[in-house]
Amino acid sequence: MNLESFVLLSLVLFTLGLYAVMARRNLIAILIGIELMLNAASLNFMAFNRFLPVEDPTVGQLFVLFIIGLAAAEVAIALSIILVVYRERKRIDVDDITELKG
Amino acid sequence: MGGMTGLLMALAVAGALLAVSLKNVLHAIFGLAVTLLAVAGLFVVLGSPFVGTMQVLIYVGGITVAMVFAVMLSTVVQTHQAESPWRRAGAAFVAVGFAVGVGLVIIGAGLPKGLAPALIEDAWSVRQLGTSLLGDYNVVFEVLSVVLLLAIIGAIVISRREEDVVTPAPAAAVEETHP
Repeated sequence: MNLESFVLLSLVLFTLGLYAVMARRNLIAILIGIELMLNAASLNFMAFNRFLPVEDPTVGQLFVLFIIGLAAAEVAIALSIILVVYRERKRIDVDDITELKG
Repeated sequence: MGGMTGLLMALAVAGALLAVSLKNVLHAIFGLAVTLLAVAGLFVVLGSPFVGTMQVLIYVGGITVAMVFAVMLSTVVQTHQAESPWRRAGAAFVAVGFAVGVGLVIIGAGLPKGLAPALIEDAWSVRQLGTSLLGDYNVVFEVLSVVLLLAIIGAIVISRREEDVVTPAPAAAVEETHP
């Protein structure tokens, strides 16, 4: 297992997340895509941290920990927004949410 | 170790495929959980059991469960209709274009082909991680705690029911809460 295989795996995960964000209409499905992309980024940090001769190997791990923490905050906000949208209109379809459209 | 890593990678891709393709959002979340667990395993393979554990605790134990709750509280799972084929085709086109472009760059970048260098136990220990976290990166750590606090408060404020705010409380209750 070399660095390239990890980076390519990360690319596959990121691409699938990107596809989910663009193709799905359900807000929770879009959130799943965002989580996939965040995980792809984390995987990249860990792989580069492990395979390259870094001076301080804690840096890559700390980046991943910070990403996990930010993802938790993001999910908390996103889910509460989803609940409010559902309460307003009984659906969570992105195509319905057009109030901010010019 | 090589077979184990390959298995985890295959699991991660399979879970992600399920997560983006399944109609039922609840099933998609379980696909996501498979991917998250596999990535946690890969973190362990990459030399950091601590980060792998955090991934399992926070992502699989927290985020996934919160998403399942959101589905239970919001979507009528069965009535979710499919996306239009045009939308899927457009998204697939952009995603494949992105993957091919970045993939060519990665393959052309000449990343080192060798196996990972030997783990230096001291530098990779959890003790060293904690020292870094509360030493050099203390400010980031503190800012992240503020972000999490604000996220909690924000989530509560956003999802609070409107009637809690606008309904005038009985006079006695007002007396009590605003003396």
